[in-house]
Amino acid sequence: MSALLTRDELAMALGQAGQGDRAAFRRVYEATSAKLLGVTLRILADRQLAEDVLQDTYLTVWRKAGSFDASRASPITWLVTIARNRAIDRLRSGASLRRSTPIDDAFDIADDGPSPAEALESGDDVRRLNDCLGKLDDRTGGAIRTAFIEGVTYDALASRENVPLGTMKSWIRRGLMRLRTCLDS
Amino acid sequence: MTDPTDPIDGVDEDRALAGELALRVLSPAEEAAARAREVADPAFAAQVDAWNCQLAGLADEIAPVKPSANVWPRVEAGLAPPVAANDNRRLAFWRTWAVGSTGLLAASLAAVVVILAQPAPVPPAPAPAAPVAVTRVATLTLENGAAAMTLAYDPGTGELYLAPTTEMAGDTRIPHLWLVLPEGGVQLVGAIDGSATSRHNLGRALAGTAGLANAVAVSMEAPGHTPAADKPDGPVVASGDLQRL
Repeated sequence: MSALLTRDELAMALGQAGQGDRAAFRRVYEATSAKLLGVTLRILADRQLAEDVLQDTYLTVWRKAGSFDASRASPITWLVTIARNRAIDRLRSGASLRRSTPIDDAFDIADDGPSPAEALESGDDVRRLNDCLGKLDDRTGGAIRTAFIEGVTYDALASRENVPLGTMKSWIRRGLMRLRTCLDS
Repeated sequence: MTDPTDPIDGVDEDRALAGELALRVLSPAEEAAARAREVADPAFAAQVDAWNCQLAGLADEIAPVKPSANVWPRVEAGLAPPVAANDNRRLAFWRTWAVGSTGLLAASLAAVVVILAQPAPVPPAPAPAAPVAVTRVATLTLENGAAAMTLAYDPGTGELYLAPTTEMAGDTRIPHLWLVLPEGGVQLVGAIDGSATSRHNLGRALAGTAGLANAVAVSMEAPGHTPAADKPDGPVVASGDLQRL
């Protein structure tokens, strides 16, 4: 079953969940859990760990839903941020032994494909982000994408690219500032 | 190549740091310090939020993956009733504590007192693993709601970072930091500096306990006096929940 909710419907369901409404919380789960599992799986590359973190994420969402403020963040942004941070915490806690399953294989297990209503933001926001990322040099844009999607630190990024740590920091810091200027313009 | 004519000035420094925190590229120590800043500085926290919103669009390219059917039942089983009652209980605990009741702590712990003001020896090995080594942060507030101190703690390394506000300045008594344990009771961490930021390492003896604690508190003790490890003698002036990041 896939429950497709608009951004406003999702924000409302989240607000109701914050009041203790379990049925509304279930709707939030149905509408967003596939997206959030995608996020945690890319970081942890292990289905079971990723689902553990997903469970933990929704328990956090249940506790914090009352503090969600629809005027400050879109609901899916808020949810993705929680899921991503939880997954990164797990990754760095050492509890996760990254397995060697290639990520592409992991996705073959159960990839229903993106459904339009699960698109993260209004398409405009995402397009603008991609436009602005596209204006950075490939190396910098790629490093920012990798950092976000895989949840890796400066240290790991520098090793992968085989550049000194300071160089990687400089790329990303400058990239972030340019990105921000572009997004704010 | 990198552009040498593109320096980041002081004004942009905070924005860049907020972006690095949102992106999670910082080292654990840098991240703990930035988290403490986020807790203490609403303007900085707003910058982090703004970055989170803007960067979250990067997840758009991540394909959804339908969770196994057993995930929802596990979530549902963990749903607790609304939480307000807990906080009240903790406040009540501290009120009782502040008037000197000892009934809550019949069992005295054979506890190790670490005086933080003394330089701790370098721990020979990583501390015993806390359940999950996730950085904890807390804002300790006074009875009137004013923030007295922010704290960040990394259970993985035992590193503790303390940033008192000016609320703690000018008191001749010595602030002592306490862990509030999940099973009830408190554990002394040690004397702390109420006038300036400081870093400490809890070492093995306390790191495991600190990873389990769900709140922290500060009591004010007479100069030269060290209270028992499980009971403050001076008034408890500030407390705050430890939040997992």
